[in-house]
Amino acid sequence: MCIDEALLSSYLDGELEEPYLSQTAEHLAHCAACRARLERLKGISAILAKDELPQEEIDSARERGLEVLERKLLGQEGRKPGFFRRRIEMGLGSMITAAAGLVVVFIGGFVLFGTSPEQTSEIIPSYTVQADSQNVRFVSDQETRGLDGYSLEEILSYLDSKGYNVDISIKGIQPIE
Amino acid sequence: MEIKSTDNDSFRLVYDKCYSVLIRICYHVVYNMDIAEDLVQEAFERFYLKNITFPNEDEARYWLIRVVRNLALNHLRRGKRESAMLDKVRNRAAGKAADKDAQRILDEGETIKEVRKAVSELPENLRMVIILKEYGGLDYKSIGKVLGISEGNVKIRVHRARKKLEESLAGDEAYVY
Ligand SMILES: [Zn+2]
Repeated sequence: MCIDEALLSSYLDGELEEPYLSQTAEHLAHCAACRARLERLKGISAILAKDELPQEEIDSARERGLEVLERKLLGQEGRKPGFFRRRIEMGLGSMITAAAGLVVVFIGGFVLFGTSPEQTSEIIPSYTVQADSQNVRFVSDQETRGLDGYSLEEILSYLDSKGYNVDISIKGIQPIE
Repeated sequence: MEIKSTDNDSFRLVYDKCYSVLIRICYHVVYNMDIAEDLVQEAFERFYLKNITFPNEDEARYWLIRVVRNLALNHLRRGKRESAMLDKVRNRAAGKAADKDAQRILDEGETIKEVRKAVSELPENLRMVIILKEYGGLDYKSIGKVLGISEGNVKIRVHRARKKLEESLAGDEAYVY
């Protein structure tokens, strides 16, 4: 009697125990049909293995991840300055209704402004912009969440979570879009 | 040896020992290297911040694999919409891993696409088992611990998954054995 295929699958994985292991090995030794079935199972594993992650990609990912974790959890540098975590869109609305005029939001020496849905928030030092309810929008008002549908805080905390030093990279951030 | 997740030496030990397995598993659920890296990093952050004591390394490893599995499945369920912006920032700010990833798939051609299609189409209970087996390299006992099912059940699922993969890969020219 030939071997149940579930047993062959376990055999392939080295998970068979005695007495089944010896029985299976013995049967395979003189049954070409079962050997062929076993080879077919091996073939499936082999084809899945073609989609393995290369070791060097894993190694570099591990290094990157460790740097981030060390900085975030184990390092001496501690947390990032709090102002990047402030919800920047808050208060903008009331400012607009209170005085539909010049709206300038200062955050740590930078000025944030929203102009149109197409143009997303930019961070430019010492810059002012004429703003009213037409060209300043609430992040939460927007229906589609394109890049401009995310608050600066979300973008920054994303970058932060990736371990970017936001202090430095803030100058390097291109106007998004 | 007892593992205390906030102990720096324990953390580093577990990180070095588990990273490869976690990234392989995670990558083969989400099929995106940048996302996989983020999710694995998040799992380690949780590991550290939860401040758990594990009786041994294996238990710590099972815990991490469980967390990564849940994060990866949640990511898939949340869908693409929410992550679209993050991908955008990612592609500008980092994206090296994703580029390599794409290049590899390009190089390998159809085989990887076929394999991914076949794996993705498996029902979740079979897909996770085969990913843990073939990409995570876990034995039946470990798979059982991670998923909270018996070893016998693992054996059956591995076999069923292989049968289904064989069916969907059959007739594929890339499937040579
Ligand atoms: Zn036979």
